[in-house]
Amino acid sequence: MSAAPKWKNVQQELAKHAGILFVLFFAFFPLYIMLQASLKDNAQFGNNIWLPMAPYHWANWLTGWLAIKDFIANTVIVCVFGVLLTLAFSITTAYVFARYKFPGSNVLFYMLLAVMMMVNVASLVPLFTLLRDLGMLNSLISLILLSIANGQVMCVYVMKNFIEDIPKDLFDATSIDGATDLQVVRSVVIPMSGSIISTLAILRFIATWNDFVMPMLIMRDEQMYTLGVGLMSLNSGYDTQWGPLMAAYCIASIPLVIIFIFTMRLFVKGLSSGAVKG
Amino acid sequence: MVRHFMAALQKHKMCYALILPTFFLVFLFRYYPAFSGVYHSFFEWDGALLEEWVGFSNYIEAFQDAKLWRSFLVVIVFISANIVKMIPAIIVALLIFHLKSEKHQYLYRVLFVVPMIIPQIVYMLLWKFFYEPNIGLLNQLLIGLGIVEPDLPPMWLADPEWVIPSLIFMGFPWVGVVSVLIFLAGLQSIPNSVYEAADLDGCGILKRCVTIEVPLIMSQIRLSLVLMIIATLKGFERILIMCNEFGGPNGAANVPGLYMFRMAFMEGRVGYACALGMLLFGVILVLTLLNDKYVRVEK
Repeated sequence: MSAAPKWKNVQQELAKHAGILFVLFFAFFPLYIMLQASLKDNAQFGNNIWLPMAPYHWANWLTGWLAIKDFIANTVIVCVFGVLLTLAFSITTAYVFARYKFPGSNVLFYMLLAVMMMVNVASLVPLFTLLRDLGMLNSLISLILLSIANGQVMCVYVMKNFIEDIPKDLFDATSIDGATDLQVVRSVVIPMSGSIISTLAILRFIATWNDFVMPMLIMRDEQMYTLGVGLMSLNSGYDTQWGPLMAAYCIASIPLVIIFIFTMRLFVKGLSSGAVKG
Repeated sequence: MVRHFMAALQKHKMCYALILPTFFLVFLFRYYPAFSGVYHSFFEWDGALLEEWVGFSNYIEAFQDAKLWRSFLVVIVFISANIVKMIPAIIVALLIFHLKSEKHQYLYRVLFVVPMIIPQIVYMLLWKFFYEPNIGLLNQLLIGLGIVEPDLPPMWLADPEWVIPSLIFMGFPWVGVVSVLIFLAGLQSIPNSVYEAADLDGCGILKRCVTIEVPLIMSQIRLSLVLMIIATLKGFERILIMCNEFGGPNGAANVPGLYMFRMAFMEGRVGYACALGMLLFGVILVLTLLNDKYVRVEK
């Protein structure tokens, strides 16, 4: 009796896998092209674009690395400091809003939420002139500060909701010990919210890593470029060497891949829980 | 009364100190530019020396600006296309959700995150290369299949007729990771009893999908829809990178954000750009309010 339905079930499962793999194939296809083209010289590249081809030009990766290593260094600096400070500031702010009522606390919190309504592009120009007038053009510090400012709203909002769900007893226990607020944040909030903090960290890291317009506007010297601007400038050269260019694209992707491998479990869980909805 | 208030402030001075960094940065880098943008939208301003009060004339000019109207039409085309492009993500979420093995579900969720962590600029530049007329992948494929004449390949991004379709097709198969995961989270919150009832009624797979699952994740779909519309309305980086600051050949793919960007940074019409920014803000605000009022997401 059970043989026919069982076979049908297997068929159904296979059909689902086939559908998903079909979509995944196309999603990964650009990455495949990037990887195999990074090992070709221009003749091979023009000859056959689709398949890997010997001899493999590993030197392309060296050329690509030399071309973008400064951009990567700049981007890493901006991302690391930007994300760390974003989290430090937003977690303390979220903690204050979650645990205390004080004069103006509602107004201030709504003022923070109102930032979500603002259209970034609408204030792009005044932001640029502000940085210019402050003498902050062409500096990584401005990018770090902007990254922190842009991350505050989402992080405070998500963290506040999260902190409000932490059982009150935990806080009470620590305050009897006479811990200061910062100590409470360190000993209760941060250990309790590891997965949400790392999800926010990764989202902010990706956002900062991908930021393109502000770096393009404020960076004047080529050695100050971040990755986005740097890759654009490589791409617009005339006699393009495709192999090294593709190798540079690969290298530009590696840091995020490494971070992802180490945080995969937390990240997928955090995103899937739907806690982060912007 | 005042003394009472001062005492309250005093009592909570630690609170204010702790939130100070956040608010300092948000006021300086978000609020100040926003208000400065409102203010300067009433000026003829080149961002530096020339700063002359012109009243509403920037706004009047905007309403008479045919290029601006056209750019809104273009962005509406992109938004409509993006609505259709949400379907693959929903289908993928449904497929993953119905897999029997939890291990496989997890594996696919991870795999779908991978394209997201490739820097967007890399993705865009790769697609730009796919569309390259002479050596790009797309033309090589079409020539190989004999669909396209080798001597007269389509110019894609450089062809005013093709630039919008090319930009729409870009990113195929259009599975934004975040939306797949949001939909999955929605599907996982459907109570089991609903499925049991459906099984009893002898509901087929397709019918179950259309009549039960899609309606039950409507709030997630709506959320992605709203986020997508706002992002598309204000986005311009993609077109700046794929085409140029004019929005492709003859400005065929010019969108409002890009037009504003060009006015501010290429044409030195900063005051006008601020007014355009205000209009864009107004449109987004109206859409957000409409959404809150009529299509409220139930919690």
